[in-house]
Amino acid sequence: MATALGPAPGTGADALRRGTTARLRWRTGFDRWVGYLLPLLFLVALVPIAYLVYFVSAKALPGLSWAVLTSSADYQIHDALGVPIVTTFLFMLLATAIAVAIGVLGGVAAAEFLPERSAGWMRMSANMLVGMPSVIIGYFGYFAFVLYFHWGLSFLAGVVTLAFFMSPYVFRTVDLAFSSIPRPIREAAFGSGARPVQYLLRVGTPIAFPQILTGVFLAMAIGVGETAPIVLTVEPGLLVPTGAFQPAVFTTYLIWTGFNQPPGDVAYTLAFQAAFLVIVVVLALNVVVRVVAARYRQRLEGLYQ
Amino acid sequence: MSAALDGGPVLQVRGLTVRAERRTLLDRIDLDFPARSLTAVIGASGCGKTTFVRTLNRMVELTPGLTVSGSIRYHGQDIYDRGVDPVLVRRRIGMVFQRPTVFPMSVFENAAFGLRVAHEPEAEIDRSVTDALARAGLWDEVKDELDRPALALSGGQQQRLCIARALAVHPSVLLLDEPTSALDPIATQRVETTMRHLKEELVLILVTHNVGQAARVSDRVAFLSAGRLIEQGPTAEMLERPRDPLTQQFVSGRFA
Repeated sequence: MATALGPAPGTGADALRRGTTARLRWRTGFDRWVGYLLPLLFLVALVPIAYLVYFVSAKALPGLSWAVLTSSADYQIHDALGVPIVTTFLFMLLATAIAVAIGVLGGVAAAEFLPERSAGWMRMSANMLVGMPSVIIGYFGYFAFVLYFHWGLSFLAGVVTLAFFMSPYVFRTVDLAFSSIPRPIREAAFGSGARPVQYLLRVGTPIAFPQILTGVFLAMAIGVGETAPIVLTVEPGLLVPTGAFQPAVFTTYLIWTGFNQPPGDVAYTLAFQAAFLVIVVVLALNVVVRVVAARYRQRLEGLYQ
Repeated sequence: MSAALDGGPVLQVRGLTVRAERRTLLDRIDLDFPARSLTAVIGASGCGKTTFVRTLNRMVELTPGLTVSGSIRYHGQDIYDRGVDPVLVRRRIGMVFQRPTVFPMSVFENAAFGLRVAHEPEAEIDRSVTDALARAGLWDEVKDELDRPALALSGGQQQRLCIARALAVHPSVLLLDEPTSALDPIATQRVETTMRHLKEELVLILVTHNVGQAARVSDRVAFLSAGRLIEQGPTAEMLERPRDPLTQQFVSGRFA
């Protein structure tokens, strides 16, 4: 009996103590060192970002004022960001609208309507597009829209090229958001006599919405920092475009043309001020994403129990 | 003439076979479900009982790769006939799942879901929701918080809300796929009480691996093993004097 003989070896209180064999000592030691190493590596990863923010702010902030941000003067001569800012806003508004339309339709089709095989092809294409260097998307836009469609180096060509660049990011999050709705929830909707579109609008969308919104914001954050798709398809303009085939200036164009000018030159100053703005916008978009996602997650708590 | 009006079964299953790519999940099942009865479908895990109830309202079609043959007649109409709309089938033959599947909306909207997607008029929705919540035994607990998010309810309340959602569209058959497997004993008792009331008015088909539950609530028992219907009959007879040794084993194993 166990009471007479005591517990079997390795099953008594000593089973809970840290191991003392060489192998176990090595394992616990390794665990501890990994615990120190990972935060350290994280700090190492932070260094370039911190340096970048510091480097750009140091050059951008001294001359940056409300007057600079709102001045619509000629940016080739004056320190004036008004035209690029408003134009970039228009670019982003239209490109995001197109990218969302393509991405949402494609994502919903892949997640809900298409057979697994065709959905797989769509996912693979989207992954390839995401991995594609932006300059190649830029060339595609140049050959397709500028030359083949005869749109010329124009605002429209830039908007559509940028939308092409952003749409796979939206597609991927929409597809994932709808595919990851718990199967029982989806089946309960169909079991209650919903048609696929009713399921998508009434049940799927409220659940998938935070993730979709996150994808859209991240696509915007990626799009607003892009250069190649724009410089290859749009002629830089001095005014805010009022028509589809007019020249237009994207903020990153200023960075691309100005960073290698002599310091003190207006173009050099503008390059850093524009870079600073892009960093601020990207950071703001990321913060908004987190806040929105957290709020919705609260509302959906308990759904995946 | 509808078969039910003649006193015939509401649902009549004949030669029902379901095949996956290589395996046969259900093998030539013949089973009748009379009006105002509760039939418990029992069997070990993986015997095909969930697949079986999922064929009864064509939910099985949501799983790609399965082929269904044989016939399932609802008041004499084969629900797998060409020209039969699976969505309309599911509005007549409702379903409740293993885990509560409430949607992220208010208690009222959850119960009203089936009516909304069927475009019922507003007045009808109000009436049917109240009635369904009462029949599911939930009305007294939620009547003052119909606008609260349904996800805030307890698990047992959520499951009864799912029953109310299924009842609101006035189905004639309700499929319950292990509806109490995620609930504690008290919540289970409430759901069982609800089931006993409901079988007075409609056809209930309950999947359970719990022989005790089958004994407590069912009129008839069907025992499945490895995709075949081994034996079926009145509950008392099936649980006390089963003829087949497999049934005997399963039933006594759980009672021992």
